[in-house]
Amino acid sequence: MSELLGIFFAAFLINNILLIRFIALCSFFGVSTKLDTSIGMSSAVIFVMTVSSAISWIAYNTVLAPLHLEFLRTAVFILTIASLVQLEELYLKKAIPALYRAMGIYLPLITTNCAILAVAFLAIDYKYNFIQSMVYSLGVSGGYSLAIILFAYVRERTALAPIPKWFQGYPIAFITAALMSLAFLGFTRMFGL
Amino acid sequence: MMIFLASIMVLGLLGFVFAALLGMAADHFRVEVDPKVEAIAAILPGANCGACGAAGCYNFAERVALGEIVISGCVVGGKEVAEKIGSIMGVEVPSDYHKKIAAVHCGATTKDRKKLARYEGVAKCSAAHQLRGGGLACGFGCLGFGDCFCVCPFDAISMEGGLPKVDPDKCTSCGKCVAACPRRIISIVPHDFGAVIACSSKDPGAMVRKICPVGCIGCKICEKAVPEVYKVVDNLAVIDYSAQGVDPAPAIAKCPTKCIVK
Repeated sequence: MSELLGIFFAAFLINNILLIRFIALCSFFGVSTKLDTSIGMSSAVIFVMTVSSAISWIAYNTVLAPLHLEFLRTAVFILTIASLVQLEELYLKKAIPALYRAMGIYLPLITTNCAILAVAFLAIDYKYNFIQSMVYSLGVSGGYSLAIILFAYVRERTALAPIPKWFQGYPIAFITAALMSLAFLGFTRMFGL
Repeated sequence: MMIFLASIMVLGLLGFVFAALLGMAADHFRVEVDPKVEAIAAILPGANCGACGAAGCYNFAERVALGEIVISGCVVGGKEVAEKIGSIMGVEVPSDYHKKIAAVHCGATTKDRKKLARYEGVAKCSAAHQLRGGGLACGFGCLGFGDCFCVCPFDAISMEGGLPKVDPDKCTSCGKCVAACPRRIISIVPHDFGAVIACSSKDPGAMVRKICPVGCIGCKICEKAVPEVYKVVDNLAVIDYSAQGVDPAPAIAKCPTKCIVK
């Protein structure tokens, strides 16, 4: 149990996917201008990342590893994740329209996000078992949500702040992200991880 | 060789399985879409310009079908599209529908403009405006570099004598030129109203007389001629476009500097 907690917090804070590993930065800057879009994106990431890391773990360990076809994992993961998200979208549209509308455009958008593929790869590189890889993907997606929602709060304030013209928009966003990244470095070595 | 065959088989099989699954799911989880949405979407211009406020033409169709947007909401399609949507929705086009176009509130062509200095900077209105108005004596008028002309997605603006001219047939009142003009001399007005103040100068009349032959001098003759429509505020005549049905023409003939145009 303590091992699972360790995996979760390492992924959630210490190796935060956005602020420490610098993966998925496109969505980090793209949809963080407003709080509600960043919440929509976060929910889509949590949903898609958990499901896709489960399915890619199964695909890797039941199909690719026994046949010694590990080199095919990029192609296979992309194929499985893309089809799966399509399937989820179809299902949500029919069964839970409210959730479908809440996630909206972010569900297909996040499918091609590098963070999703990175988590599938990393879980295999760390040689996690199924439960561990599920906890890991929850930790990563939780860390993503934490970082992007905090960032959206800051950006909503900076949008109104009297910032010099040449720093408005993306420049100040990058500076903000760098400062947040520095703050997250403070979590290094926490809990002895 | 074995590994070669195996990888083809695995990828092919996975692709086949997922394709079959998706095909089945698409059939099984089919959601009935309101046929009105499809019909409306087929009529719309499909420019996805966003001038209606919806996220693209399909979203506009969905929201019209739900009754969230009025049927004349598509500014590009105009009255024609509004009527077609009305026939699908079973609603009449409101009689107070008026086509809107962009109007230029400056009448000074290049030869009318008095210059205080020669501008040799970047040939853009936005650049000239920041550099003391490109040396122009008038602090309100058209700079003539055609930022509006460049930004118009419908080719509706042409530059004639250094002044933008709007083609009312092509203009869709999308508002891109309004945002592009650094001097804010373009606005969206009802097309069939029949009068536009071709001046934006808030300088006192005596000063306008010295620098521009076609500027508004704030003489209030138009206000006396048709008081329902014209009002002089800050040395500049403004038109109240809500006064529909009042003929603004008498003031056009009386304006001493001819700065009211049709």
